[in-house]
Amino acid sequence: MTKVLIVDDSVFSQKIAANLIKKYMGDVELSFANDGEEGIELYEKLKPDFVITDLLMPKLSGQELIRRIKAHDKFAEIIVVSADVQKNIREEVEAYNILSFLNKPLQDEKAQLICNLMREKIHG
Amino acid sequence: MDRSSFKYDILKEVFNISVGKAADLLSEITGKKILLKIPDVTILDRTTNNIELTEYLPIKFTGALMVSTISFKENLTGKANLIFPAEKMKAFIHLCLNEDVHEEDDLNFTDIDFDVIKEIGNIILNCILGETGNLLNIKLQYSLPEVKIYNHINFRKDIDEKEYQHILVLYITFIIDSTEIEGTIIVDLALQSLNEIMRKIDLIEADIYD
Repeated sequence: MTKVLIVDDSVFSQKIAANLIKKYMGDVELSFANDGEEGIELYEKLKPDFVITDLLMPKLSGQELIRRIKAHDKFAEIIVVSADVQKNIREEVEAYNILSFLNKPLQDEKAQLICNLMREKIHG
Repeated sequence: MDRSSFKYDILKEVFNISVGKAADLLSEITGKKILLKIPDVTILDRTTNNIELTEYLPIKFTGALMVSTISFKENLTGKANLIFPAEKMKAFIHLCLNEDVHEEDDLNFTDIDFDVIKEIGNIILNCILGETGNLLNIKLQYSLPEVKIYNHINFRKDIDEKEYQHILVLYITFIIDSTEIEGTIIVDLALQSLNEIMRKIDLIEADIYD
């Protein structure tokens, strides 16, 4: 079963992401972290296939979470879902070779895109 | 149109575009069509005037206020507050959660309500500030968002920060599914930050006349 870790300090956004990923991915095991620090702990413990993360979070930011995960596993598959619409932030984050960067709010179309990307990676 | 009015017109248009994008995002969140009234912008200068911020809130804002706040630094330094009358927020939360709107809703907000407002406020403020930054080519670094409910006295004490010299007051009105939600965005700016915005607007103006 595909394991997905959702990292977001908003429970509202976690729930939206969870419902949409389940809807378009079907058989998926979801885990949740409320900030980047919890995100890195759960990443090391669960070894998820994909990480969906916010950027602006307490304790450890999404950028730092991505940097640490990539330092540990450069092939880690990370998708960013953030409210930050700034072009330069997107470029900085995309330089970490992430799978995708999408702006909040997550809705059907964006969730389908994420699920298609995850499927492509799973099936090569 | 004189030069100063033209610069103000550019600034207003930059916010207009940013608020339009924010309305688009709200439409994605609620799954409903959003009608937008043309936003208005006022620049207040604390260095020459004694300003009472509450006087610049819409007259309808008589009760409790729900305020989402985000601070920013790097190329601009300041603080943005998204202010809505609390009485409208229950209906807004129901719309965001795709639930039925009840007329008799009280003003007791749960942790879930605060989480929803914090996240929506974050999305709207990020969109308005971020798009403004994109259009003016200015990079911002944000703090974590906060949400609080204020009465007018607390608002005057907490939000009216005298440390910032300039205030941009942006009036916005969204109409979501016949619910009219009037909001105000108050952006406190350090002196050099307003100068930086105006410098960027000068560049846009110069481009127009090139």
